[in-house]
Amino acid sequence: MDQLSQALVSGLLLGGFYAIMVLGFSVIWGVMGVINLAHGEFLMIGAYLAWGLFRFFGIDPFASLALILPLMFLVGYLLQITLINRIVERPHLMTLLVTFGVSIALANLAKIVFTSDPRNVAVAYSGSFQFAGVTFPIVKTIIFAAALLIMGGLHLFLQRSRLGKSIRAAAQNKTAARIVGVDINRVYAITAGICIALTAAAGAMLSPTQAIFPFMGPPFTLKAVTITALGGLGRIPGALMGGLVLGVTEIFVATYVAGIGTNLGVATSFILLVLILVVRPQGLMGGLRPVDAEAD
Amino acid sequence: MRQFLSYFTLLLAGSLLLTSCGLAPPAPVDEPETAAAGADAEKVIYLGAAVSETGKYSREGKDTRQGYGLWLDWVNNEYGGVQIDGERYRVELIMYDDEGDPDTAARLVEKLISEDQVDFLLGPYSSSLTQSTSAIAEKYGKIMIEGNGAAEPLFERGFRNLFAVLTPAGNYTRSALQLLAEQGAKSVVIAYEDTAFPTSVAEGAQRWAAEYGLEVLGVETYPVNVADVSGIMSKFKELEPDIFVGGGHFNDAVLFIRSAKELDFNPKAMVITVGPSNPTLIEEVGADAEYVIGPTQWEASMSYADDYLGTAAEYAARYQDMWGEPPTYQAAESTATALALHLAIEQAGSLDTDAVRTALRNLDVVTFYGPISFDEKGRNAAKPMGAIQIQNGEILVVAPSNAAVAELNYPAPAWKDR
Repeated sequence: MDQLSQALVSGLLLGGFYAIMVLGFSVIWGVMGVINLAHGEFLMIGAYLAWGLFRFFGIDPFASLALILPLMFLVGYLLQITLINRIVERPHLMTLLVTFGVSIALANLAKIVFTSDPRNVAVAYSGSFQFAGVTFPIVKTIIFAAALLIMGGLHLFLQRSRLGKSIRAAAQNKTAARIVGVDINRVYAITAGICIALTAAAGAMLSPTQAIFPFMGPPFTLKAVTITALGGLGRIPGALMGGLVLGVTEIFVATYVAGIGTNLGVATSFILLVLILVVRPQGLMGGLRPVDAEAD
Repeated sequence: MRQFLSYFTLLLAGSLLLTSCGLAPPAPVDEPETAAAGADAEKVIYLGAAVSETGKYSREGKDTRQGYGLWLDWVNNEYGGVQIDGERYRVELIMYDDEGDPDTAARLVEKLISEDQVDFLLGPYSSSLTQSTSAIAEKYGKIMIEGNGAAEPLFERGFRNLFAVLTPAGNYTRSALQLLAEQGAKSVVIAYEDTAFPTSVAEGAQRWAAEYGLEVLGVETYPVNVADVSGIMSKFKELEPDIFVGGGHFNDAVLFIRSAKELDFNPKAMVITVGPSNPTLIEEVGADAEYVIGPTQWEASMSYADDYLGTAAEYAARYQDMWGEPPTYQAAESTATALALHLAIEQAGSLDTDAVRTALRNLDVVTFYGPISFDEKGRNAAKPMGAIQIQNGEILVVAPSNAAVAELNYPAPAWKDR
């Protein structure tokens, strides 16, 4: 029983991180139909920024979000205007090639700038607390809470604000959005800014829990694809559900299968992906369809 | 922020400069001249090696190059050349960048043998590159002596020409487990990455655990690039073992320490394969790295010495002088690799491959790096693996007893009491 509740808590906490990690990927895919293969690299950059701010200025990684979010918003915005907007409505292969190129460039640039020595942020509160007989890792609990908070905020923004509504309009029907006067390139740039800022924030929050190194990105990108298939495109409740399902599955398999549990847990996520694509190619929640019928 | 930015700009500019210049410090890489020509003017021994300058092993490859370079500089300029039959031979070392890729490394070694016609080969960095390059050396009947490939399967292929000065992976945890058993530890759990080197380490750990009467309570594997080991750690927490053994690479060391603390998993000792002997771990993980134990091939504080490069400490000082940074054990084992070949050539009194191979088989010396004596598979069976523990932010040797500079701190206090 004790092990069961511990596994559930660990799984939910991991799932919360997955949800905030995948959000940027899923929204970019949902709104512009771009599969961002450099997703993990933006996470890596966020982690390095948090490390740099912590190491040289003593800023706590969660406090540093106040700097990282606007900075990475700007990066995403500029990247979209200069590069991605040129390929948004082109065939998928183009977007894959360009974002793959960006991912290689960023990883190797990080290797030149930061060297391949692994980094980590040593926060003072890296321990745990007990609650109801279960051990809660402090950092991961904060990540979980922050993830819920950010997702709630983004949900409100997309549902209520005028800008949020134009983002959703662009996702639903580009042509109609253009006809009613939405500046679609600007909407895309803002979307990219938000998504890349969110991804970097996830990386920053991750920085105290594991090693940061230039080539840490690709496994996160792969995981993001799986969660998106589980949860659907550009849907915040979907990302949360997909993340939690994957996190809990991985930890349960790891806990209850002896010897190879952790291997099997990671394999499970990809088995899930294959199964979903075979049984329901449109995604579990029906979101993996082309966002705009005219785009294809 | 400005300091931060200027730091990066500097680094960026610096590394661009280095790449554009081709090589970092003046590395002693000679132009591949035709080795066969001009034999009477000056006696020369040609050595060749493919070592990473770029790619994923660029850091360790640099250590390896610098280790070889130190020996080369010493043997030509200070020692006066390798002595064969009363004559002095200058040494030339031809090195190529293998980019961390096994196929490229194999191709370069083939080039070294057939085009550059080197007499002997020195090894690349890492088990996987040694795997591919030693097969080429074996095919051409060239001796390859190496100090950076420890995985056991390398030596199970029946090769006659591969010799390794470093302690093989199976023995990595031996000193640490022996010492911990003496201190009263009773049980052990093992987690390792399911790739060649960590698997060898973990199989060895199970063997030594049995030998020293430690009960193995659990063994878990995990994949490369794992980002979460909570499942393993909470399972181990239930087992309440005395010792945690973690086999993997540097990133996993960070993950193990972080996960153990955040799940309040309190083994009395944590033995982690790669990471603890590297000062970067203390720098990055901070106080949580205290009490962690790790194996080490070599430390400058060890009490080994030879007539050539002096004591381990003198070697470290010489290295610091030449390269401007302290030697890692990867650098020391590379120097020892070249030194072992040097000694075997002198004992053979010839450059003939068969004579040198026999001399290597019979070699039995103690160097600044430790004893070197090869078993029938080409492994250095004589050298024990050291164990270090992180104590007050310092990496101190705690085993074997003749090289130890500090007492083991055991048991480690629970995370909450630190």
